[in-house]
Amino acid sequence: MTDELRIAAVSRRPAIHIRVNGRSIAATPGETVLAALTAAGFSTMKKSNVRGEARGAFCGMGVCYECLVTVNGVPKQRSCMTEVQDNMEIQTYEPDPS
Amino acid sequence: MNQTQADVLIIGNGFAGIVAANRLADAAVDVVLLDENLHIGGQLLRQVPERLGRAASHADHVKKAGRRFIAGVKAKKITVLNRTRVLGIYPGHEVLIEENEKKVRTLKAGRIILATGGREKFLPFPGWTMPGVISGGAVQVLIKSSGVLPAREILVGGSGLFLFSVAYECLKAGGRVRAVLERTGMLDKLPLAAQLPRQWPKLIEGARFMSRIIFSGVPLRFRTRVVEARGRGRLEQVVAAKVDGSGKIIPGREKTYETPLLAVSHGFAANVELAQMAGCGIEFLDERGGWVAVTDDHLETSVPGIYAAGEITGIAGALKSINEGEIAALAILHKMEKCAESDFKTRMKKLLAARRRHLQFGKYFNLLYRIPAADYLAIPDETLVCRCEDVTMGELRKAVANGYDTPATLKIPLRTAMGDCQGRTCGPIVYDILAALTGRSQADMTPLVVRPPVKPVKIDSLASFSE
Repeated sequence: MTDELRIAAVSRRPAIHIRVNGRSIAATPGETVLAALTAAGFSTMKKSNVRGEARGAFCGMGVCYECLVTVNGVPKQRSCMTEVQDNMEIQTYEPDPS
Repeated sequence: MNQTQADVLIIGNGFAGIVAANRLADAAVDVVLLDENLHIGGQLLRQVPERLGRAASHADHVKKAGRRFIAGVKAKKITVLNRTRVLGIYPGHEVLIEENEKKVRTLKAGRIILATGGREKFLPFPGWTMPGVISGGAVQVLIKSSGVLPAREILVGGSGLFLFSVAYECLKAGGRVRAVLERTGMLDKLPLAAQLPRQWPKLIEGARFMSRIIFSGVPLRFRTRVVEARGRGRLEQVVAAKVDGSGKIIPGREKTYETPLLAVSHGFAANVELAQMAGCGIEFLDERGGWVAVTDDHLETSVPGIYAAGEITGIAGALKSINEGEIAALAILHKMEKCAESDFKTRMKKLLAARRRHLQFGKYFNLLYRIPAADYLAIPDETLVCRCEDVTMGELRKAVANGYDTPATLKIPLRTAMGDCQGRTCGPIVYDILAALTGRSQADMTPLVVRPPVKPVKIDSLASFSE
């Protein structure tokens, strides 16, 4: 488990695992998908609609829709508003089909 | 059709919402309390959920009060709907809601309290859309709700007291803060002294923040603003510049910071969209922090039976939200004849006197930290303003020059506010930019019309709704 960014003062329950773009990463139940991705070093969540530029989480609270990822095959889910579940499949970099 | 009835529907479970819910439930009023978030408490009372683990946390007396209200909501007979979004509010207090991003249904309420809170505002600069530039609020959410730092070290920039709260939370969580860059000058804050006597809880909180930040050796740079974020694919460098008293950049005083993370914040905007949707009047008041819901003294909006409480009536912080949750609940109890006339009068009088003080406090900070027109006029052409539709400042300037100079007509050439966030992020910025470019007051502008669904909804969810 990459713990460099997980705050030491928080005692956690045992880790679960999610897959991000096919790679397995550790997460804690109760964390948001965004938190798990951040702790694992992911900063780019999607590409912007018009220019296709890399975008990451911005508001962190469900307002800006910049942290959209595909969750278990469902596209455009806000990673900041979704809790991790064991064996969740996450795909980043999903621009709108044009 | 699957329809729920409630005496009172409270939209938003932050301070104002949980206070009103407690007071109404105490008088045996049937309350539904709903919110889009995963947990009760809104933005200020976020804490690591029990499911995740345990975190020792210091709580000041305001947060302690908040925790008691949360416990009250859980213990009392209140229907709590988390992860539930309002898609529309229709005549007769009929509300279309979506639960768990799955199920759409209607809910009919005798009365509604809009306690929708506020969101952060931003001043765009080149590179602010790059991964690694996040809002101050996002830093707090990651730390408080998930126990994760956004990076080992962060740089904080923007304007307002909230910057110091962000730096404080980061230090407390074991992170490092490279510096805090604050646009306003230290001297501009001196008149604060006049506010001191009645606002001690806020000042004690502020003093705790500042002492921690200063003792941690974090450089505080006033009259300094971020002018550019640079990096290949993600943030690597931030360029900051000194500004003079009028906000103009002083040439030759730039400083470059190497940093993986920049947290930005430029104050708050009230979430008025649901009030607009419901047909409630809104007005622009600089002293309240921008567009707010219009209410009478008892917080009833222009639509009878719909009340507004908390940041939606003016940005001023937790104490005003608690106070307004009390006022709205008391006003409703009185209307429902669950409160004796004399008791109502004495309690309301005290609450209204306190509200005036909170509004005064809010006014001071809203005017002090208001982003001046000059800052918007200084945004370079290539800077993105609308993140969803990749609209630049140059495109905005051109459109305004061509006569598309209102929030609604701008959508014709540019699609501003028409993307996924539906103008939540760029809306307040575009209003400010239009005011700056045209020299008109926002009070004379017609804000964007809000139509259902007020948040993006999956077709699957809509399909679950049948008459």
